[in-house]
Amino acid sequence: MPHQLFFTKILNDLFARPVDALLAMAHQTPKHLDAPITNTFAMEVLVFLVLVVYFISIRATLSVETPGPVQHLAEMTHGFINDQGESIIGHGHEKFTGYLTALGLFIVMCNLLGLASPWLESPTANPRVPLGLALVTFVYYHIYGIKANGFGYVKQFLGPVWWLYPLMLPIEIISHLARILSLTVRLYANMFAGDLLTLAFFSLVPLGIPLLFLGLHLGVAIVQAYVFVLLAMIYLSLAVSHDH
Amino acid sequence: MRKLQYLFSALAALFLATPAFAQGADAVSPWTPIGAGIGMALAAGLCGLAQGKATASATEALARNPGARPGIFTFLILGLAFIESLALFTFVIIFLYVK
Repeated sequence: MPHQLFFTKILNDLFARPVDALLAMAHQTPKHLDAPITNTFAMEVLVFLVLVVYFISIRATLSVETPGPVQHLAEMTHGFINDQGESIIGHGHEKFTGYLTALGLFIVMCNLLGLASPWLESPTANPRVPLGLALVTFVYYHIYGIKANGFGYVKQFLGPVWWLYPLMLPIEIISHLARILSLTVRLYANMFAGDLLTLAFFSLVPLGIPLLFLGLHLGVAIVQAYVFVLLAMIYLSLAVSHDH
Repeated sequence: MRKLQYLFSALAALFLATPAFAQGADAVSPWTPIGAGIGMALAAGLCGLAQGKATASATEALARNPGARPGIFTFLILGLAFIESLALFTFVIIFLYVK
């Protein structure tokens, strides 16, 4: 039986059977039949539920005359992402703001979850979660690139002159795939290294000093979420640009 | 034409060199932890130098033109993230391959 957090235990008690059946349909057997849901997945579900409740509460209490505190918070985050999008993507940035805000909020919540309480842990300290986010972003910006440029989107992968095409195409494909790698590893390694650093100093000096690194980790968690969204924005702006 | 010749000979050399990377994956050497330490130290030190340079330029730019704060800030954070990710790649590779 693996180590289970409180929320994972609840989920496993409730859903172990259906999840096993679902995995059996995909011809997979989990390592522990009683606990197929991992801590990481449980934490992701927790973040998802919190965000859904947050968005529903905003939608339910939306008002023009008397905006509540939750609406102020939502308008602040949306406005921040919108301003960033306007300065980076420029014309036509409004349709991306929703996705980017959701992405940013999800990553911030995931990163801060590990700091919130000992019964929770950061799902982003596991490489699979950032990989999922990076893949979604990759597919998203390619879809919008194709939508914006049509078949001409292929030209972004080719060089300026025809005899460079066979050289540029593999390089561009590799560089686009490397974006997934760098997005994944940046977020994962930062979160993981932060946890490890706090742990290492906690084993050296179990009093006071680790707090400093918790503070550092808090800063890193927010900055990395910001960087992830910023890079997603830049990739979007490159994909939808018409300059080529 | 001469340039293309150089290019293709370099590419051919690279293709010949590929099998060299694939060998010796299982060999555990007593020098591995030392290599990992030196690698991480180099990565961290050079990352520190580069981040210092980037931050110094950003502060200087900010002192010269305080009005350009938002743009400078965005590019500073972006550059720092890129520089830092190089050190983190080293960290992840060390963590994956050094037991």
